[in-house]
Amino acid sequence: MTATVRPYGILKEYINHQNETQVAAGQTIRQAIQSFRMPPEVVALVLVNDEQQDKDYIIQDGDYIKLLAVIGGG
Amino acid sequence: MNGYGGSILRVNLTDNKLTKEPTPPELARDFIGGRGFGIYHLLREVPRGADPLGPENKLIISSGPLSGMLSAGGGKCDWTTKSPLTNGYASASMGGHFTAEMKYAGIDTIILEGISPTPVYLLIDDNKLQLLDASFLWGKGAIDAEVALKNKHGEEFQIAAIGPGGENLVPYACVNHDFGRQAGRGGVGTVMGQKKLKAIVIRGTKSVPVADAQAYRKAGIDLYRACIEAEGHDEWTRYGTTIVTSWCDEVGALPTRNFSAGSFEDGKNIYGPVMRKEIVITDKGCFGCPCPCGKYSRSRRYGTYVEGPEYETIGLMGSNLGIGDIEAVAEANRLADDLGLDSISAGNTIAWAMECYEKGMLTQEDTDGLDLRFGNIEAAFAAIKKIAYREGKLGQLLAQGVKRAAEQIGKGSDKFAIHVKGMEQSAYATHNATAMLLAYMTCDVGAHHNRSWAITYDLQVGRDKVVPEKVARIIWLQNFRPMFDVLGSCRLQWVELGIDRDLYVPLLEAVTGIHRTWEDLEAVGDRIWNLTRMYWVRENPGFGRSWDLPSPRFYEEAPKTGATAGQITNYEDVQCLLDMYYEQRGWDDNGIPTPQTLQKLNIAVQTH
Repeated sequence: MTATVRPYGILKEYINHQNETQVAAGQTIRQAIQSFRMPPEVVALVLVNDEQQDKDYIIQDGDYIKLLAVIGGG
Repeated sequence: MNGYGGSILRVNLTDNKLTKEPTPPELARDFIGGRGFGIYHLLREVPRGADPLGPENKLIISSGPLSGMLSAGGGKCDWTTKSPLTNGYASASMGGHFTAEMKYAGIDTIILEGISPTPVYLLIDDNKLQLLDASFLWGKGAIDAEVALKNKHGEEFQIAAIGPGGENLVPYACVNHDFGRQAGRGGVGTVMGQKKLKAIVIRGTKSVPVADAQAYRKAGIDLYRACIEAEGHDEWTRYGTTIVTSWCDEVGALPTRNFSAGSFEDGKNIYGPVMRKEIVITDKGCFGCPCPCGKYSRSRRYGTYVEGPEYETIGLMGSNLGIGDIEAVAEANRLADDLGLDSISAGNTIAWAMECYEKGMLTQEDTDGLDLRFGNIEAAFAAIKKIAYREGKLGQLLAQGVKRAAEQIGKGSDKFAIHVKGMEQSAYATHNATAMLLAYMTCDVGAHHNRSWAITYDLQVGRDKVVPEKVARIIWLQNFRPMFDVLGSCRLQWVELGIDRDLYVPLLEAVTGIHRTWEDLEAVGDRIWNLTRMYWVRENPGFGRSWDLPSPRFYEEAPKTGATAGQITNYEDVQCLLDMYYEQRGWDDNGIPTPQTLQKLNIAVQTH
């Protein structure tokens, strides 16, 4: 019961500069983010299987989760 | 001259006189292009104390060395003038394809002077230059005018046009181009309207010389490749600037009901992915862009099409008006574009009026019968139209901009008129984001976000912290980011995709033959920043510290709801931010560059 998290760009720093990592299903995305010591507010967009979800989404088995940071603004 | 069209086109609308002169090489060396050229000409050519709506004011349109070139997003030009909204410096950046045609017509800068006795439009077809009768266009919307001119001259011509807002001298009128791109802020469309110039129609077919063609090709391809291969390229392209809407809502930066809060209970209805799913029909990019962030949308409910809405319009004409309906926001966007109004200033000003109405400071007699409550979509549409035509009591009131409207109404409504220096604040609520607040306070056109954008930095180092590092960050951004507006290339590839900015260094060298590092470019940016400050000083007796203060809403009135509920910036901290900023800039306690600073930057003479 796992899902794959793929942080983009500078967010990779929080998973030792790997491209992807596995997390347990059943927790919220916010909890997963915090487990990486990543401040939730630096994540601009969460896409789960290419659909936007909020950080309280409960991770399902097999989900592919992309995390995008806000870099420099508008 | 490598990287340049080579000439300045001077258009005297009073005398119907069109002349070309060479772009001076020393101007290109010292000011490079874009807004660098703009402030140079503004300071030299528009006399001190000129009426922004008088014949002495000029409208200066400048490309940069990367405009129209193999740069990722070389579609930018700068529109500089003395602002009819603020009486200070105005500089608006416009994307699309206009600037490429300027370069290909051999023109770096177009300087519009005087006032035409009758409505005209300017035709530039390589070396053929004409002012033509525009009576058949006057009164048309900007989009309709563009259609009419495309039909008349051909699809390959690029067009910049004003709408009724510019014709009726609304001080925040914009210029529209390419069916949805704008030179938006500070009233550049107003000055065009005052000159009775409805549109510019341009086509160029010449080539632009480059210093090293082989190196140019390589550097251009390297830059493109970096953009296309950047992580997040597909997502940023898919959602464009609307990617930040949900994030702003989450962190309390989404302007809501006239900036009284930073989170919106109906925010989820206007997030980027909702917009993509509900109304977007295709992506739309500017010249040479590898990540087309523009979105072309269709509203089925209203039967209309619009480019957008961008995040800024979603913030100001959505949540800030209490409207959580993406189709309604798109339609408000279309109205503002076609009527030729800056959607940021218009949304901000209408939100102020809605708050006045809900507080009883404006009645239905003042609103021409409109029930101007937050969330009333039809009332918002009606207000936009009234502003453009200065129609009725409400149109006349709001067509002044929020600062002057609040001065007219009084009753303490200036406390919630959200502006700096008379320019309405763009779409970031800054109750507890001290770096972003300082960015707005010190921006050289008024409360605009594009010079420095620092909310993420606030989050990194602590939102309420008031420390020299934050101030240094703002100054660095102010010197660095606007250099994209000097080079004539879009900053969003760096901003959104995070590509290495050093990729621009070999490209600029290959184009111009001059090696410049980013440190060199930032030094030019510093110089331009001080020049624009001196323009404010020159044009406004008594200009100083008090002009840099934000709306009291951000230091007197904490939001009651949302992510920033109960949070506020202390007034003492606001003043402390200015103290540190002035010290680091080399300005005196009143915010005026010291003679030593001007001397160091070699600009003392140029301000006289």
